[in-house]
Amino acid sequence: MKQDSLSQSEIIEEDGSSLWNDAWIKLSKNYLALAGLGILILLCVVSLLTPWIAPYSYEQQNLDLGATAPSLQHWLGTDIFGRDMLTRIMYGGRVSLMVGFIATAVALVIGILWGAIAGFYGGRLDAVMMRIVDILYALPFMIFIVLLMVVFGRNILLLFLAIGAVEWLTMARIVRGQVMSLRNQEFVEAAYSLGLSQWTIIRRHIIPNTLGPVIVYTTLTIPSVMLLEAFLSFLGLGIQPPESSWGLLINYGVETMEEYPWLLIFPGVALSLTLFALNFLGDGLRDALDPRTSKD
Amino acid sequence: MRYSHNVYLRFSDSVKLTSSTLFKGIALFGLLMVLTSCGTSENNVATGNRTGTLHWGNGTEPQSLDPQIATGVPEHHIISSVMEGLVGKDRKTLMPIPAVAESWEVSDDLKVYTFHIRKNALWSNGDSHTAHDYVWSWWRALQPALGNLYAYMLFPIDNAQQYYEGEIENFDQVGVKALDDYTLQITLGNPTPYFLQLLDHYSLFPVHQTTIEKFGAADERGTRWTYEGNLVGNGPFSLSDWKINRRIVVEKNPLYWDAENVKLNRIIFYPTENVTTEERMFRAGQLHVTNDIPADKIDVYRTQKNPALHLAPYLGVYFYRVNINTPHLSDRRVRRALAMSIDRESLTRNIVKAGETPAYAITPPGTIGYQPPQELGFDPEGAKQLLADAGYPNGDGFPATEILYNTNEAHKKIAVAIQQMWKKHLNIDIQLLNQEWKVYLASESAGQYQVSRAGWIGDYVDPNNFLDMFLCGGGNNRTGWCNEEYDRLILEVAPAMKSHKERLAIFAKAEKMLLDDMPVLPIYIYASKRLIDPSVKNYDSNLLDQASYKDIYLDGESPVTMQVDK
Repeated sequence: MKQDSLSQSEIIEEDGSSLWNDAWIKLSKNYLALAGLGILILLCVVSLLTPWIAPYSYEQQNLDLGATAPSLQHWLGTDIFGRDMLTRIMYGGRVSLMVGFIATAVALVIGILWGAIAGFYGGRLDAVMMRIVDILYALPFMIFIVLLMVVFGRNILLLFLAIGAVEWLTMARIVRGQVMSLRNQEFVEAAYSLGLSQWTIIRRHIIPNTLGPVIVYTTLTIPSVMLLEAFLSFLGLGIQPPESSWGLLINYGVETMEEYPWLLIFPGVALSLTLFALNFLGDGLRDALDPRTSKD
Repeated sequence: MRYSHNVYLRFSDSVKLTSSTLFKGIALFGLLMVLTSCGTSENNVATGNRTGTLHWGNGTEPQSLDPQIATGVPEHHIISSVMEGLVGKDRKTLMPIPAVAESWEVSDDLKVYTFHIRKNALWSNGDSHTAHDYVWSWWRALQPALGNLYAYMLFPIDNAQQYYEGEIENFDQVGVKALDDYTLQITLGNPTPYFLQLLDHYSLFPVHQTTIEKFGAADERGTRWTYEGNLVGNGPFSLSDWKINRRIVVEKNPLYWDAENVKLNRIIFYPTENVTTEERMFRAGQLHVTNDIPADKIDVYRTQKNPALHLAPYLGVYFYRVNINTPHLSDRRVRRALAMSIDRESLTRNIVKAGETPAYAITPPGTIGYQPPQELGFDPEGAKQLLADAGYPNGDGFPATEILYNTNEAHKKIAVAIQQMWKKHLNIDIQLLNQEWKVYLASESAGQYQVSRAGWIGDYVDPNNFLDMFLCGGGNNRTGWCNEEYDRLILEVAPAMKSHKERLAIFAKAEKMLLDDMPVLPIYIYASKRLIDPSVKNYDSNLLDQASYKDIYLDGESPVTMQVDK
């Protein structure tokens, strides 16, 4: 008997393997998603190491060299100031990836908490919280960011936070909707009957179940945040020369795409590659993390 | 630029709930390309040639159309189409020609000018146009409350400066008199060889008293009298439509004294702030004349020998103002170090590219034979030494400094290059700040900047026009620099000189004083660069880049030359 019960509990252990374990197993079968993950890791590693591995200085100009096509010295060519494009793209990636991840993380944290609380408690609290979201929605978000920059000065970290602070609204709405549909389901009631605290229920049962849509939305937020950064920089509120970001490089590349196409193509490829990688990974994660798909 | 701004706002707002920002962006971009490139069967140029409408790229939205408030070149183009001075300029030689005044006499001592005003000159609302209009207009121009930055253009007139500065109260003592309705007598303080040229500058244009007083006090800024429907002018065209940031339309004025010789029916001015967009508009046949050409495109047009490309010498200087009230920039050694570490040769050769020449002085060399002192060439070692002497060895402790420029890709490129030159040679950190044209002008005038991009285009051909900008408290000085000896040389000594040569020598002496202190960092001498459709006739690239709108006509029938197909 003893023997038997032990083996049975082993089986149960296997069946109850964690969400993350399951997800990883499913994800590892999705090669596109894995490739996306690989590319992202590679980009992040390159960005982190850029100051040590970049072939040239990102600000050193060589006006007499000017814009040159890709060559052995400059693999991706040079811009009109004679600066190496490979180096500029590597440094630009640091800014773009950082703004993408930090701003999105800020949006995620605020959005999920706000949405989960509003959706879970409902009633008057929900109404107040969602009206606040509505009011913030009604503010033209550009003006909001511009005001923040004017009041607190031009600071790159602040820029990240400011973008995050306007991007969480949609996240909060999505999460709230999910939570509202979840909070009356049987497993939540079961958790209540087991005497778990509300906070534990939100944390252990509600939020993990909203992960699917959240992750999809996150993978879409990152690129839109990168584009927003480019736009702000173009207005003179974001990254300032000589520093750069992919958005700015592309912006400049568009203007001279007929004369110097490589100034557009390479930063464009870098940005597109990141966006594709994020989208594939996001798709894969959504499939892998959906608790409703059957466990086989 | 503004256009793309709007597009972005709209599309990101609508995308908030859905998702794929990128794809919508691509779709939108595609749509814009279709709209701008092909689309309609007839483009602006073809329609314009048929209807006599000139489509003119004007650079930016004007600050104001009040001739006694405006200070910029974009404003000049519009104002000179709707208003006219006593004297005009020949479009090729720039010699004075009769305009509102049909003739004039000058006294033997060159101090008293008597103008005979045309009896058939009328205001665009039909009012008669008399010598009294000039007396009133110049009285208004000299009201300190109006804040006319060009007030000093009237200072050659006897007692004008004293009146402006409040030393005399009675305007009758200023040397402007209407002898009768059609005779205006002007008395100068000193003989002023360029005085006739001044009369073609908008700050000396007549303004319509009744209209101005209808919309506010005579010396009130920014009243509605310059708006469409209100503005009354005396020029070959009159203002008919003003859509902010979109277009300004002027229609032929049938009451203009020379209306029968005005060939165009209307001109549409576009605020083309983004040079790249402007060049695309030109290629798509949306503009007859552009305000500028992107530097990177010049070589393409050159190799194609494209007849649309018009490059010409231009009497103007591109420079940086230094606000000498900024603590760390108040030391002239610092300013000289900044000037000496700009490699202007490389900048003009590699960045601006249209035949501009490096400037080492504020006056373009060769202005009526004047050769400015050439000092402070490119000398990074000397600059480093000077900065060390000023207390910042190797740039240590030099506060972060900001370069202000008005939003424009070309200005940005130059600022980025200079930022790096200063970083490399002086090891100092520079930040860039761009502002929209009106905001930029306001910041500069209020002294809210450290280093600011500036350009000065000659209003008339004389070194005086560049040097009297830096008189103490001059409206266009804006640097805080003031030197009484300099003022004396420009205002008193130079006008009293008997010979041309002596007068130029005094200017050279004054300019030397200015350059010793370096409140301004001269960068290059302009070249005018425009793309002009071959159907535009009677447009002559002159030294002041001033078109004579009443002479221009459009001829779409002339052999169409090659199209740029890239």
